[in-house]
Amino acid sequence: MLELRSLTKKFDRTIAVNKLDLACKQNEFLVIFGPAGAGKSTTLRLIAGILKPDSGAVYFNGTNLKNVPPERRDMSMAFENYALYSHLSVYENLAFPLRAKKFKDQDIRTQVQEMAAILQISELLERRPGFLSGGQRQRVALGRTLIRDAAVYLLDEPISHLDAKLRNRMRGELKAVCAHKEATVVHVTHDYREAMALSDRMTVLNKGRIMQLGTPDDVFHRPANEFVAGFVGDPPMSFVDAEYIEQNEKPQFRLAQKDIHIPAHPKIRAYVKENGLPKSLKIGVRAKDITIASSQDDIHHVAVEVFVTEKMGYQNILIAHIGQTQIRAITPPKVAFNSKDTVWLNLNESNVHVFADGNAVLHPKREIKLGTNSF
Amino acid sequence: MASVKLENLWKRYGDVEAVMGINLGIADGEFMAFLGPSGCGKSSTMRMIAGLEDITAGSIYFDGERFNEVRPRDRKVAMAFETYALYPTLSVYENLAFPLRAAKWRQDQLDQRVREIAEIMWIVELLDRKPHELSSGQQQSVGLARALTREPAVFLLDEPISHLDTRQRIRMRAYLKSLHLKLEYTMIYVTHDQEEAMALADRVAVMNLGLINQVGTPDEIFNNPADTFVAGFIGEPPMNFLNCEFVQENDHGFLKYNGIMMDIPPQYQPLIQKAEIPKRVILAVRPFYIDIGLEKSTRHTIPAEVFIVESLGDISIVSVDVLETRLQIVTRPDFRAEAKQQIWLAIDPSRTVLFDAETEKAVSVPVQD
Repeated sequence: MLELRSLTKKFDRTIAVNKLDLACKQNEFLVIFGPAGAGKSTTLRLIAGILKPDSGAVYFNGTNLKNVPPERRDMSMAFENYALYSHLSVYENLAFPLRAKKFKDQDIRTQVQEMAAILQISELLERRPGFLSGGQRQRVALGRTLIRDAAVYLLDEPISHLDAKLRNRMRGELKAVCAHKEATVVHVTHDYREAMALSDRMTVLNKGRIMQLGTPDDVFHRPANEFVAGFVGDPPMSFVDAEYIEQNEKPQFRLAQKDIHIPAHPKIRAYVKENGLPKSLKIGVRAKDITIASSQDDIHHVAVEVFVTEKMGYQNILIAHIGQTQIRAITPPKVAFNSKDTVWLNLNESNVHVFADGNAVLHPKREIKLGTNSF
Repeated sequence: MASVKLENLWKRYGDVEAVMGINLGIADGEFMAFLGPSGCGKSSTMRMIAGLEDITAGSIYFDGERFNEVRPRDRKVAMAFETYALYPTLSVYENLAFPLRAAKWRQDQLDQRVREIAEIMWIVELLDRKPHELSSGQQQSVGLARALTREPAVFLLDEPISHLDTRQRIRMRAYLKSLHLKLEYTMIYVTHDQEEAMALADRVAVMNLGLINQVGTPDEIFNNPADTFVAGFIGEPPMNFLNCEFVQENDHGFLKYNGIMMDIPPQYQPLIQKAEIPKRVILAVRPFYIDIGLEKSTRHTIPAEVFIVESLGDISIVSVDVLETRLQIVTRPDFRAEAKQQIWLAIDPSRTVLFDAETEKAVSVPVQD
């Protein structure tokens, strides 16, 4: 079992990884997700032993790996810059880890061909890396990492250089390959869809710190804070500034940029009672959770002006303004509003997240629409 | 502002045919996207419109006037690139003023124009700053503003936002669209990102291998792709394909995929009598229009095996194998299934498109009201 305890790494004055505590479960696919500069790759290198921590340590099955050099860690790592052997063919690059373990030629051939088929590089086996595109090289590097047995696989953006179509296909293949291995996988990416699709659990990293650790479902539907909420999802979650007030003893939000009152959940009153009024209070709502009406009614009572509508073929994205704040909502493809139209949105306790001083205090009740694809 | 017409336009670089005789009319004030993979000829086409590349053969017209020989600076085109190269020592104001000073504008007119364009682009508060004091999104806005100061007849944008991070890109996308609504310039936009093209353009020209495969509104290219290339390039995940055989029994038509029989979609029914359905066809359907049943039913008749389920929060993508064909289905986010689990599929017939397996072109559907 892989474990990071208070792992810290500084570069000059920058703290790249800041007291990271993380325990992988047995055979878990764990994704480290975050923006550029979050400390994702540094964490991976610390696990591999290529970098030495300033403090804290990496443990495997209870043993501190401090004095275990990278090559003796039973880990297999795919590097961002591929690091292929340029004088060897693709076949020999893939075969290399197996030759080192003295596999029989026949076994090597079977395994190399199997891996090449999965990664769709079978027709490239005789070529040298210099004659491959970036995406092809990346797949060879991934294949070389996965072909050998290891207790831990460390993958640093292993499919990021593939074009969109191929990347999505490889995502499925990667998940399937790893599902068959009895090993821990730590995968680094800046793409939230990749993180969600692959991981058993994901950790969201920002500025060297863990913002949230949880299942993809937790992270998407119950983001711990504003950072995670805004970073996971496309279109991104919209945030509206609000103030907490009580009117006739009823808890309410007043939207800061428009004098609109919407009812607040009793949990917010309880929060304010305990912690006092927060300095910043934000209502967060996902584009799919908003419904829109062309006139005011019982649930649609937040008037906004339409900025633009993006027609995506299968859905429209309506972008509207509340003051300076942009709100995005998804509508069916046939429903389009013109710029400057006024429309009414439903923002109420059943479909909004609430963040007080950046931290989540309320999530929407999730009503999963059962039933099937609509036709 | 101007309309643009491309007539049998060719571009050859040595032995390489980059653009092979394309024809396209772009209306005055229209937002047209050139969409395609790298090497499809989209940037070459734009550079010929800008006058930055010689035209190998064919013609370009602005408002009906042949422009082949007109020098780039006389074409009144503005061009925005992915990298803007703002002058680092000059303020934002001076960066915007630069093209006007070069054209010897009077100071008062120049000042008025710079402030006007800054207002339109929401960068008034940045005018005194230097480029290094701006975020990359702000630099992008300033770069666009500078391209716009001289009131172009046609505004050309070559992958202008592709290097921004997702959030900035989504913001800039909305902003470019609103800019077009406000200015009503003729805009031509080159991108390899189908989502960007769909979100922005009035019409999209989908290009591949130096040719235009289809020109249409986002709705048309999404729902009625002209060929399998367009069908496979548009949409994420893209359209699914099943190679079928057309079988006719009396007046009834079936599609047969390795022994699995499906009714011919109703919109193609009228073609049966006219014998206009080819023997070998490709049945195509978008991932949203396949429904999964855990049991066989009257609706769920196509047997499939689950390969992998990817749960993405708001949707799940289920990859399945129907014999040797892999299909992807978009379904509700809480869908769970095990790898290799047997499931049954129902395809919404009204949402299918048939392609001739020989030509890979769509089988044309009789026009319906």
